[in-house]
Amino acid sequence: MDDRENIDNEEHITIKLTRRPWYQWILWGLWLFLEVVFFQAAVASGKEFEPRAALVFWLLFGVLLLGGIIIWVIRRQRLL
Amino acid sequence: MVDEGKKLISRRDFLRIAGLSASSIAAGNLPSTSHTPLMSKMSPLSKQAAGKVRPWWVREVDQPTVEIDWDQVRRFDARNTVRGLGFAKYAGQAELDRLNKLDAEIEKKRILEGIPGYTLQDYALNDAQASIARGKRYFLGPQEAQTPEERGVPKWTGSPAEAARVLRASMRHFGAATIGFVQLDENTRKLIYSHDPDGKKIVFEEVDEAYETSAKRVIPNKAKWVIVYTVQMSTETMKRAPTILAEQTTKLSYGRGLEVQFKTQEFIRALGYQCLGEASSNALGISPALAVMAGLGELSRQNRVITPEFGPMVRIFKMITDLPVEPDKPIDAGIMEFCRQCKKCAEACPASALSLDDEPSWETTGGWNNPGHKAYFEDSIKCRTYMKSEAGSNCGICFAVCPFAKKEKAWLHQWVKAGVSTFPVFDGVIRSMDDAFSYGAQKNPEEWWYLDLPEFGIDTEQTTNDG
Repeated sequence: MDDRENIDNEEHITIKLTRRPWYQWILWGLWLFLEVVFFQAAVASGKEFEPRAALVFWLLFGVLLLGGIIIWVIRRQRLL
Repeated sequence: MVDEGKKLISRRDFLRIAGLSASSIAAGNLPSTSHTPLMSKMSPLSKQAAGKVRPWWVREVDQPTVEIDWDQVRRFDARNTVRGLGFAKYAGQAELDRLNKLDAEIEKKRILEGIPGYTLQDYALNDAQASIARGKRYFLGPQEAQTPEERGVPKWTGSPAEAARVLRASMRHFGAATIGFVQLDENTRKLIYSHDPDGKKIVFEEVDEAYETSAKRVIPNKAKWVIVYTVQMSTETMKRAPTILAEQTTKLSYGRGLEVQFKTQEFIRALGYQCLGEASSNALGISPALAVMAGLGELSRQNRVITPEFGPMVRIFKMITDLPVEPDKPIDAGIMEFCRQCKKCAEACPASALSLDDEPSWETTGGWNNPGHKAYFEDSIKCRTYMKSEAGSNCGICFAVCPFAKKEKAWLHQWVKAGVSTFPVFDGVIRSMDDAFSYGAQKNPEEWWYLDLPEFGIDTEQTTNDG
């Protein structure tokens, strides 16, 4: 008896693998790099007693993070 | 139980014997090559330690970024500066008396009103720093360390490069931030004052030992090396300028500079050589010029030195020695080029004492400037008048607003400095970004008393991180 016949349809999981073009990897890499830099600068500015600079860096970090999440979600929706 | 016939050993004796035995065993276990000179066992990395390690974007150059016409340079009389009594020379004694009176009135008024940065506790802190900064200095040094002759041993010998390394290691340990060396020749000799601030002549003579009389200080011709060093000021404190609170970091640096001078003079004496120091603060030679020639920084729009490591947040000191040391080269880190575009210090100067010209000039502003170099010459009379009539303290705004006056905890600061050095086309953008991040804004002096700052308010690892 074939094993596949015993599997209930609800237990099936469909995994879609999409091959991203190379430039997308570079863009995501750049995004991650900038996030790390802004995060480090924000934390370091606090230690340097530079509140305005810290605020600007936190804002940059937050906006970039939010932008990245939004783009990721939109692209995921399209794939689904 | 101990037999009566046996000799009793006290606990102290037992421990002493045990200790001696242990150390004898330990000594016996030492390898037979333990007398090998340490240098031969050092790793390449430790040989580099205390060497001059600069960031890659600080380039050594043959000619400094400030143009110099050595034929026009003359040995300068330190009494011609506007510091102290020199001010009266240009503005008149009556004006100096008026400003001193005004200064005293401002002091009392601000203390009574409790103006932040000018409270009694701020003045007390400043006075405390002055107690060391104004301490007695010696041209010939304290002369207390034992010389090799007194020890009955030959004097220290080593190559000029080794001497430079040894001096850097010791002086960093004494509290200097960066150290450089200038060899005196017919040109660089002109950077040694003709007269010290106290009026004594400084002369070079063909003698074996330096000496001092009531009229002159004599430097032997064989003492051909100038040791130039910086001592950090607290950026966090100076960002409260102009206040008495900010002024005290200057005095702190002068005190620390004096300590480094004494210790280095004694160190070199103990090695068997002479080391001649500043007989009073800002004596012996022109600090910015010597620092530029020693590669510690570049001349800037402030007509002061800006260092790659600390920006303008340093005080510069110098000594002369007959210990041959390897001289350093001037540097180009894009600082002078950046100053051309930036102008932030000149725009922020409340006395309009700094030049807003696009290009440096050969024309000096007054007798307090030494001709022979192309610079942004400052109006020191305006500067001093503002300090006494309005600030009621040293000013330092130009230092505080300088884009190079950054602490280096954020990686970006180093990258920006590297960018300034390599891509001057972005200098204008960097200046604008500096404003946007509000780096030059004056900080609250009251808040300073609540900060948890490190020793002396400085980051002593900043230079070591630069490598």
